[in-house]
Amino acid sequence: MEQWADETNAANLVMMFRVPTSAFRLLSAFWRLNVAEELQYRANFIASVLGTVFNLATALLTLSLFFHHTTTLGGWDYWEIVVLLGVFNALTGVIEAVLRPGIGQLAGEVRSGELDLVLVKPVDAQGFVSFRQLDIWRLTDIVLGLGLAGYALFRLGHTPSLAQLMAFGLTIAAAAVVVYAIWVVLMSLAFWFVSVENIAVLFDAVYEGARYPVSAYPGALRFLFVYLIPIAWTTTIPASALTGRLRPEIGLAAAAVAGVAFGLARALWRTALRRYAGASG
Amino acid sequence: MIRRYAALIRNAWLVDLQYRASIVLWLLWGVTEPAIALGIWWAIAGDGSVAGYARADFARYFFAVMLINQLTIAWDSWYLDRWIRDGELNFRLARPLHPAHEAVAENLAYKARTASVILVVWLVVAVAWPAVRLPFAPGRWAITAVAVVLAAAMRFFISFTTGLLAFWTTRATAIMELHAGVSLFLAGRIAPLALLPPAVAGIAGVLWFRSMLAFPVDLLTGTVQGTDAILRGLGGQIVWLGVWILAYRVAWSRGIRKYGAVGG
Repeated sequence: MEQWADETNAANLVMMFRVPTSAFRLLSAFWRLNVAEELQYRANFIASVLGTVFNLATALLTLSLFFHHTTTLGGWDYWEIVVLLGVFNALTGVIEAVLRPGIGQLAGEVRSGELDLVLVKPVDAQGFVSFRQLDIWRLTDIVLGLGLAGYALFRLGHTPSLAQLMAFGLTIAAAAVVVYAIWVVLMSLAFWFVSVENIAVLFDAVYEGARYPVSAYPGALRFLFVYLIPIAWTTTIPASALTGRLRPEIGLAAAAVAGVAFGLARALWRTALRRYAGASG
Repeated sequence: MIRRYAALIRNAWLVDLQYRASIVLWLLWGVTEPAIALGIWWAIAGDGSVAGYARADFARYFFAVMLINQLTIAWDSWYLDRWIRDGELNFRLARPLHPAHEAVAENLAYKARTASVILVVWLVVAVAWPAVRLPFAPGRWAITAVAVVLAAAMRFFISFTTGLLAFWTTRATAIMELHAGVSLFLAGRIAPLALLPPAVAGIAGVLWFRSMLAFPVDLLTGTVQGTDAILRGLGGQIVWLGVWILAYRVAWSRGIRKYGAVGG
């Protein structure tokens, strides 16, 4: 009996983290359709690039204004924070290209009952909801962001070593997972607060805080950004990896944070889904 | 007209009541930007001061920004853009009341709710944190109220007029975003105008940006001193309000003639 229980637990665990290869085929099919659709609207590409350039210019001007009155911010100098802004912009690209058009639509679908159509599909609902849509034009944000980070490193006169680049690869992947987990948590809340269609606004509000190194903030905010809403791990840590100020144990901690965040988000999603009663409920 | 407005505002108030949670989120979104700016200036000021602003001055400034920005904000370009593109403007045109009145009523109902929340939060915070307390000055508050009304009216016409551009272009809201980006600096959202390079602060004063936000904020915190400076500030607000009303009239009369409506 006990053994049987163990086995179901194990099966549950496998269910939780199983990623069938068919999922990848499905995703690539979705994304191909998406790309074909988006390619009809090429003017959007120009608009998207102009928008990003404008946002970057605003961010750099804001930074210049701060540095007009100081020489360091939270122990970081100007070009180091520009590296961070580049990372921020690259992550914004991931958010706008994948998360907002995909999982970001969930709150509205819970409200209207359209989620029914997702749940009857023979795929993992979370995976499907998360990656079903791809706004390819916003992928340019990733390129522009990394380009800016690269230029800032050049201005710093710092060439990252191979180890630092690998640390960056690890921490930026962890950052993407953390951002994703935050979105999953927010959207899961929509199952309880059905009337809150604009819950993504909460993300936009909080994520503003990731524009600057977490060390620049007063103690209470810093605590909030490191432990409670872990956005410090999304920009400060990968940027630290690039500029060579990251201690190895913090890099490993970032990976652990990402794992924990993902696990918690997945668990909350499953709890939330049980609450869903469908369009007629 | 007063009865109509009472009905419109009541209606908007009740609609908002259904979306309380959403409004709280918009409110949070509105206060994080000044909160983060305050955090950064707080770090920069340290124990000294930046161009005459010590930590407590920044705290007062950005609390005033939170309140007055909420009191003067206008979302109308987004509404109009949708109304015009989806044809929702049609039934509004068929009513015996100009659509602008509905927008104004919504604006008032929304602000009454959100701004009072900020005011209460400010009062509570002020009990615990002396840095954000304002000196007791009813006369100054009365003048600030006038400046806030002028600023709110102007931002309403800016937003409404920009929204009307949807008659001609599909990117009216992008123009509004552009305006928001510029106002980040010129209206004093990211820093007091005194901290900007003098030339830039000068442009903000010549154009309408200072009148939008920075002037009422500086009035409230007491940075604007002397009858002369106050009258000049109010005068600037009135002039720019007039200009934007004019722009609105031109855009409305031209646009409505061009409007074909969906399916029309």
